Amino acid sequence: MEYLLQSILNGILAGCIYALFAMGLTLIYGVLNFVNFAHGELIMWGAYFLYLLMEKPIRLPLSLALIPALFLTVILGLGTDRFVFKPLRQANRLTLLIASLGLSFLLRNGAQFFWGAEIRTYGFEIKRGMRFWGVSITSNQVAIIIASVICIALLYLLFYKSRLGKSMRAVSDNLELARVVGINSKRTIQFTWVIASILAGVGGILLALDTNLQPGMGLINLVKAFAATLLGGVGNLWGALLGGILIGLAENLSVLVISPGYKDAIAFGIMVLMLLIRPSALLGKEG
Amino acid sequence: MKKMIHVSLFLIGVSLLATPLVLAQETIKIGAAFALSGSIAVYGEGFKKAVDLAVEEINAARGIKGKKIEIVYEDNKSTPKDCVTAVRKLITVDKVPVIFGPAASSNFMAAAPVAQESKIVMISAEGAAPALTQAGEYIFRVFPSDVLQGKGVSDLCISLGYKEVPVMYVNNDWGLGLKNVFVENFKKAGGKITDEIPYDEKKTDYRTELIRATKGNPKAVVNLTYLNEGAVMFKQSYEMGVKTQWIAGSAAKGPKLIELAGKAVEGIIGTYPVVSQETKEYKAFKEAWKKKYGEDKIPIFGEYNYDMVYITAKAIEKGGYTSNGIRKALFEVAKGYRGVTGDKTFDQDRGVGAEYGVWTIKDGQIVDYKK
Repeated sequence: MEYLLQSILNGILAGCIYALFAMGLTLIYGVLNFVNFAHGELIMWGAYFLYLLMEKPIRLPLSLALIPALFLTVILGLGTDRFVFKPLRQANRLTLLIASLGLSFLLRNGAQFFWGAEIRTYGFEIKRGMRFWGVSITSNQVAIIIASVICIALLYLLFYKSRLGKSMRAVSDNLELARVVGINSKRTIQFTWVIASILAGVGGILLALDTNLQPGMGLINLVKAFAATLLGGVGNLWGALLGGILIGLAENLSVLVISPGYKDAIAFGIMVLMLLIRPSALLGKEG
Repeated sequence: MKKMIHVSLFLIGVSLLATPLVLAQETIKIGAAFALSGSIAVYGEGFKKAVDLAVEEINAARGIKGKKIEIVYEDNKSTPKDCVTAVRKLITVDKVPVIFGPAASSNFMAAAPVAQESKIVMISAEGAAPALTQAGEYIFRVFPSDVLQGKGVSDLCISLGYKEVPVMYVNNDWGLGLKNVFVENFKKAGGKITDEIPYDEKKTDYRTELIRATKGNPKAVVNLTYLNEGAVMFKQSYEMGVKTQWIAGSAAKGPKLIELAGKAVEGIIGTYPVVSQETKEYKAFKEAWKKKYGEDKIPIFGEYNYDMVYITAKAIEKGGYTSNGIRKALFEVAKGYRGVTGDKTFDQDRGVGAEYGVWTIKDGQIVDYKK
């Protein structure tokens, strides 16, 4: 029983991370209508920015370094839009897809260039988790769950209760029409990148706090986020959340039955299945 | 006059032809397809330092018959595909007759057939998979095979009184090979494997695998892992409050494990090929290392890389700078050769033997295990 509970908890934890990633992914998709493969690198850079600020020579404490690290991630996100995606705004989706793939390689190898391929940690002391009913959970993991809930709540308020969210949805529905009715599409798109970058930064930092830093950390988890996005319906925020948690649970519970060597196959299987059922998902709403 | 011009043209021609040859002969080139970037670059940097140290010493003495050794490093990016590319480049572009092969058995075994087909000698200083040298007669290793280590881990479990253990292993050629030898020996010794848990490299989250492995609270869990994966796993199992005796192999034995996982790795026990630190060879090596790099910590398998350079240099000196010469001479020069890592005599499978010892981590230090 304990194993089942612990597995469910681990599944929810993994699911929260996937969901944070998937929401950023689906946000960019919703507004700009392309799948950003470089989102995983935004996640990774978010974690490394924090590392940069906490290590020699800056050595800020975590509480002080957090906001600047997120700020740098936002700058990076806006930068990728300004220099890569903005010039391609009118290009077809395949071009954008390939551009984001290239950007992903560039950013990943960039991080490897500066910090090397080895695993790094923020250097916090390792602590035993707290125990409830035989299930262990660390304070970092509590933070993951709380941060995910806060992010989702804020996103909801932003999307459905604010003027800006309304214009984001309008741009997502029809860019031309939104412009005609006087929505500042340029600002809306920039704002979308800010939100997506913050989500990526938060997710990356939480993931790195809970595990480790390495240049490939975004990529391996992004594949799962893709599966979550597809499962929840591309461009759908609630779907991304639900998809993330479902995939996290499916992965973690399946291992109790099948060999862990096939753990990744679950997420990939779901992804392939979704692509077979809804092949238009990856390349756009109307195919 | 005309004759003079002819003679001088001839001389110029000769010198033009001869120049590249002279340049090529000035140093003795040895290829090294090392992991300088990618997932196992954490090992590669240490190997390179050890090789550089040996080369510097040999060159400072008198080189090989007066010629200096030059190592042509080629980054294998830690992937089998790029290992093949790196070895091909060393063979076709740099035309070296002998190559220090990639670390990680999967990577080495991907590149070994390339060297074998081209009849180029390739040596491994850390490949442990039992099938490593099967590609052919040009493939050598100065590191003991896991056939020995698998038995070592099994013996260790039995001697500690663990008769029922689950086994976790990295899902690749090395992990699978070692796991198979371990399971075979363990069963023969009357042990029982309760579960087998393969896992992928380079993940950030191994909790699920750990839960599966520690299901039913086993007294001990055998985990045949690397430094990075081991560090992540031991850290996460500590956080989850898992209480079990971890038993590892030699690939997890390195200061980096403690650096990454801190107190979570206290008390882990593992086997490793014993390299006596009391021999004069080892002491001289350690002294030289400290002098060159200003630190006491010898990176994992550094000693084997160091010995590999010396044996290769001796083989080139004796057999000449051709791959066939080196291949034949390797057997002769290594016979009875006492290096930093002990006796390096090659067996019929072009590998070396070893004694196995037991390591543990106590107060943040890797020490010999004593009951």
